[in-house]
Amino acid sequence: MSQYKIIFTGPVGAGKTTAIGSISDIPPIKTDASASDMTKSRKAETTVAMDYGILNLAGGEKIHLYGTPGQERFDFMWDILVTGGIGLILLLDNTRADPFQDMKFFLEAFNKFIVKTSVAIGVTQMDISTKPTIADYHLQLETLGIKPPVFAVDARVKNDVSMLVQSLLFSLDPGLEGNHESLCAEFGALYLSNTRRSLLRGLCYGY
Amino acid sequence: MDERTHKLMAMYLQGTYKGAAVVVDDLNAEIDIFDADSVKAKTLLERRLAESARPIIALSLHELTLENILYVKKPVKTAGLLFALNEAGAILSATKKPDNPLNVHAENTASRPSQDFSAKTESLLSTEKNQVEKQAINTDEQRKTSKHQTAMQFDEGKFNAYIGSVPGLDVNDPKQFPNATYDPKDYFQEYVQSALMAAETQKQAIHMNSGWKPLIILPHNHEIWLDADDKQLRAFASVSMNKISGAKITFTPVDSGLASMQDSLEKFHDKDAFLWKLAVWTSKGRYPSDLDIHRAVFLKHWPNFTRLVVTPQALRISALLMAGPRTLPDIAEVLKIKPQYVFVFISAAYALGLVEQAKREMDEVIQPSTIKKSEKQGLLSRITGKLRVNKS
Repeated sequence: MSQYKIIFTGPVGAGKTTAIGSISDIPPIKTDASASDMTKSRKAETTVAMDYGILNLAGGEKIHLYGTPGQERFDFMWDILVTGGIGLILLLDNTRADPFQDMKFFLEAFNKFIVKTSVAIGVTQMDISTKPTIADYHLQLETLGIKPPVFAVDARVKNDVSMLVQSLLFSLDPGLEGNHESLCAEFGALYLSNTRRSLLRGLCYGY
Repeated sequence: MDERTHKLMAMYLQGTYKGAAVVVDDLNAEIDIFDADSVKAKTLLERRLAESARPIIALSLHELTLENILYVKKPVKTAGLLFALNEAGAILSATKKPDNPLNVHAENTASRPSQDFSAKTESLLSTEKNQVEKQAINTDEQRKTSKHQTAMQFDEGKFNAYIGSVPGLDVNDPKQFPNATYDPKDYFQEYVQSALMAAETQKQAIHMNSGWKPLIILPHNHEIWLDADDKQLRAFASVSMNKISGAKITFTPVDSGLASMQDSLEKFHDKDAFLWKLAVWTSKGRYPSDLDIHRAVFLKHWPNFTRLVVTPQALRISALLMAGPRTLPDIAEVLKIKPQYVFVFISAAYALGLVEQAKREMDEVIQPSTIKKSEKQGLLSRITGKLRVNKS
């Protein structure tokens, strides 16, 4: 069976570990360690290798969620991590000194991967620092010639992370069907009576 | 100080020190607080001393003996900072009548642009405007729950009940498309949009008097404060203003009374999120009459979906429009969705200025009739299905 993965990247403290934990079907496997360098000023522990989570799909397929280490000295791992990836989630911390610089850095670092796939950007900590605004990010991205989804995200909130990942997938193919009927179509259950649809909905989704 | 420290300082002063001082922006500050241990502290302190006569409090791990600077040793203790604030207040009172509480500017040494002298002079002259800004900025962002809550995401089943419908009109019937329009000018939406424009142009907080609930626009923070809940707003959104006898809406600059808003922080809304849902409720599945249904529209950029009401198929519609301009019926046809979902999304995005009608004929000629399917479409569909089912 093929291995599919979605990559989460961004600077130290942007919420990659938390975001993976928000949507993963397993408790995320974390490789945090005490920070000993400049990272220490932003968080007590940081990811030194990578984070890992799983989305289990119907039929036994698994989507692997990988979080890159935020520190630049681990960038040699980034190329390895993205191989075979479906797309990139870039998380940016709005309280950092220059989030635009962070954005440009990561977009440049993952440029080849983004060109082949797609990227969606989540801006975290906007309840602490409201500026730059999401509109400011779009203006910056315009100068770079790309128009990816940019959402305010609370990495602890599953709905926020879920919507960001969905936007990435729809960017790859707007024709995807993510509604209930199409999900049940996976089980061969299109165009059914309301009663039968209700039954199958219960079977498919547990409600 | 970085932004996080800046915010923490604001919260800190609202706790133990409540009433002693508040954090405001640079233009309105009476006292500066510096983190003297930051990299650029020395340069900024020197510049501040040269440019301003404001009292300065420096926080440092090290003993400081600097002329004209009040020193507080880190870790900061209540008594030490209160003493320094009192000292600073005494210095201020010697030069002018002090406001209460004191307005403090916590210096951000990381990214703040240099002070513009003319702007500073202007601020000293326009005291009324400053008063509005001071009070608008003195808020606890994190307690504005409406602004930062995650999006409400609708599927097809619940959506019709949420937005309602127009009696006698089937917006999904192509023959009725020409009638499936609404003019925002007839509704509350237009008045809110006009007030927003006025507030932003004048850079002035505005009170909109509509004879309904008090609504205040705070352009500096991109916020709207409304003394009504969503249920009330939804009902009022669909009422034709022409039918309200004697409806006369006026805008007045707000120069006092903003402090009372701080007691109801849940009534603050992000400007875009507010306008988006107002347009959804006004539309009721119709599209704005300004748009020609036979001409393509384009989307300037993705809406900030995590903080908006997510209408059915909105993510797909956005992704499709980001790939190129299309007419509204074409969007529905390509995505195989009800036109109603396209119309309501376009109404909301148009209200925010995110949608425009393609002006060039070329845009319509080049629009592809189909979309390129991803090789992994089945897999990607299963992931989106999974994410939607699992939403919390």
